[in-house]
Amino acid sequence: MQENQIIDLLKKTLSEMLLSAKIERERKVLAEIKPEGIRDAASALVRNDVRFIIIAALDSGLDIELLYHVDLAGRLLVLKTKLPKEAPEIDSIADIIPGTEWAEREAAELVGARFRNSPNQTHLVLKKDWEEGKFPLAKPFKRLPDVVAPVAESIATVGATAPLTPLMQRKREEAGLASQPPLSYSIESQMKEVHQLIEQSGFVQRGGYDPERRKLRGVRK
Amino acid sequence: MKKYAIFWGCMIPQRLPSVEIATRKVFEKLGLEIVEMEGYSCCPDPIVGRYMDRKTALAISARNLAIAEKKGLDTVVLCNGCYETLWEAREDLEDKEQRKEVNSVLSKIGRTYEGKNKVRHIVEVLGDDIGVSEIKKLVKNPIKAKLAVHYGCHLFRASEGEDMWRKPNQLTDLVAATGAQINRSKLDQICCGFPTSHVNEEYSMNSNLMPKMEAYQQMGTEGVVVCCPACNVQMEIGQMSLKKYGKKYSMPVFHLMELLALSFGVPPKELSLGVHRSPVQQLAERMV
Repeated sequence: MQENQIIDLLKKTLSEMLLSAKIERERKVLAEIKPEGIRDAASALVRNDVRFIIIAALDSGLDIELLYHVDLAGRLLVLKTKLPKEAPEIDSIADIIPGTEWAEREAAELVGARFRNSPNQTHLVLKKDWEEGKFPLAKPFKRLPDVVAPVAESIATVGATAPLTPLMQRKREEAGLASQPPLSYSIESQMKEVHQLIEQSGFVQRGGYDPERRKLRGVRK
Repeated sequence: MKKYAIFWGCMIPQRLPSVEIATRKVFEKLGLEIVEMEGYSCCPDPIVGRYMDRKTALAISARNLAIAEKKGLDTVVLCNGCYETLWEAREDLEDKEQRKEVNSVLSKIGRTYEGKNKVRHIVEVLGDDIGVSEIKKLVKNPIKAKLAVHYGCHLFRASEGEDMWRKPNQLTDLVAATGAQINRSKLDQICCGFPTSHVNEEYSMNSNLMPKMEAYQQMGTEGVVVCCPACNVQMEIGQMSLKKYGKKYSMPVFHLMELLALSFGVPPKELSLGVHRSPVQQLAERMV
């Protein structure tokens, strides 16, 4: 199976569950998928004589990244998926590809990924009486300090350190100024542009800003 | 008529519209035109921006600079924090790689930034483009008060080879041009405490604002002139907070543009000085 055929297979199998796929270099394909697509992907790969290699688990501070490495007819396919640290859950594929069982156990105990319906949830490398809920390779949740988080959220949401209050709008009018300054929050198209900028610049991926909730991910300490 | 793209920032429209009114009046008297930067956003705040993702913060700044650049104008700020952020972003974006990376983000919102124009503080615009002697000629009501000058930390931000005291000295000269008597103190260049107050209010009050207020009081200072709305708000709200620590002050704190407007003959009541949290209105009526 050639690299392009691997990408075609993923597109056909996963459709919108496939976030991206590219030939990273000769004989290597890197694809990012939604966690919900992992079982469909595993089933399709099994039908194509996959050889499982390893699951690399990384803690980015915001997400747990699982990188499923498999060999497809001499080509390396890395399936990457991100689990939000607030709920780092994904379906186990150990019943589809039995060789993944030990790798899932390793990712579970070292960084805290949770594999739903895993047939074996016992420790692999940690001692049996290891403290529950303590993951030796997990990082603290990456979140802006509480003293700056509200202002950062406000900048991402309204494009200013704070929204204009109705009282100040009235005071501005009384003073003979336009009730709304030319800030982005006063102009719908400009506000939309700022929102697009925030999303495109990486504040969502790297800064943990959730545009739907208009809040930073994680909780205040 | 010379034109300037004015970056009002967040604080002036939201907390100190009196500074906006004063600026408009002063520009009118000076024969300068204000060009609005429609759709600008927070610079972003120099402290928060450093904690946010750097690429995001730089893209936000670049978008703001691109708005002024599209009009072919320098960006003129009335806030030291905005100056720090936008000045620094402009410097960073001199680097071709960084500019390319930021432009790849800006292109997705239909904008581009080429680094053609400058970021300038209002103090240097008045000092360099207008000149203290021209300002003096417009003074109709010489200020009769002993005033302290608080520069604010970011006004010391200087290009390589530039005298870091250039802009702070220009500020002092502009205040003196209004006729005010300058009360100098060794603590003039101490931070107002705005950034640290968010982390540890008591520390900020004890190490920054309280010693400054004590010095002002001992020297018979009647008011403090700033060129930054964040310093202004901090020094006014801070006085209220100091009551918790047993210290009571009633020191008017106001922006350079308000001082200039008053000295140019704008009646205090036209400036909406009542938005201040210190007795600026009372001082204004007394000193002109």
